[in-house]
Amino acid sequence: MRGLTMVRDAALVVALSFALGLGYNAVHSEAIPVVAKVPYRILVPCPVEGGEVVPLEATEVRWDGSDLVLDARGAAEAATWSPPGARSVPYDFLDPIADATVADLVAVPVERVVVVGDGLVPDCGEEMGKELSGKGVRNVHFVRGGAPAVRAQLEGRQP
Amino acid sequence: MSRLLQWRGHAWVSLVLRLYLGGVFLAACFHKILHPGAFALDIATYQILPLQLVNLQAIVLPWVELLAGVMLVVGFRTRAAALLIDAMMVMFIVAISIALGNGLEMGCGCFASEGGDDPISWHTVLRDAIWLAMGLYILLLDSNPLGVDRLLRNKRNNA
Repeated sequence: MRGLTMVRDAALVVALSFALGLGYNAVHSEAIPVVAKVPYRILVPCPVEGGEVVPLEATEVRWDGSDLVLDARGAAEAATWSPPGARSVPYDFLDPIADATVADLVAVPVERVVVVGDGLVPDCGEEMGKELSGKGVRNVHFVRGGAPAVRAQLEGRQP
Repeated sequence: MSRLLQWRGHAWVSLVLRLYLGGVFLAACFHKILHPGAFALDIATYQILPLQLVNLQAIVLPWVELLAGVMLVVGFRTRAAALLIDAMMVMFIVAISIALGNGLEMGCGCFASEGGDDPISWHTVLRDAIWLAMGLYILLLDSNPLGVDRLLRNKRNNA
């Protein structure tokens, strides 16, 4: 009997939640349609068949030219701020990196390739690093926290 | 066994668990209520629900979290609230496990939808399993919860 009462109460809470949710959504400035008509554009990359990529902290990046720093973010973000001396190579989660781009990078005489992404999950820097490594670029690293961490470190503040 | 079930300390242990779990769910619901579109995107990213149900869940679920959280904290219809919390935890554990099994790298969407914080992992599943166990303790062992339920019961018995 008590079990039935508990289930009834739980069902009432769910019913009340429907009423409150739908009512609030009807007047909310960020209301969404109750039934989505257009599929969501979700961006969850399938695991990249890539190679090894080593994480670095922002403090470990060498700015003396011995690291080739790549900015994997979109061109618009890179135009706002980019790590000093970084080469902008926008990473597209859906398109493979062009062979010509890889060939260019392999030809640069540096000790390490350091990819700076957006610091999100998934981080475009880490994903690009995996792909580059899988395509034969050696000693590829990515920066934990991406461009926000690098910028904070260079400007001497906490990320 | 019956002595274990009748131990009076369960209500106090349960009170601590209720305040903790209630706080977790209250903290989890606000961002989802305020930004249903972002939460709907999180749900869609799991790629489990059909598109027609994504928005409805994004609209209703945060209110279930809110009501169940409040009920747990104040001790009103406590076992019904624990039942709802456990049902949600089972749902979250299954969803995250499926996403991990499919190799998806994505944010949890558990507390906020801001750029993929809190990425899913087996640690997320373990955390949710611990919260599920807490909910089960409240549901199964706290037969006379401290709070509004006990006040109402005492009032009924005195009448």
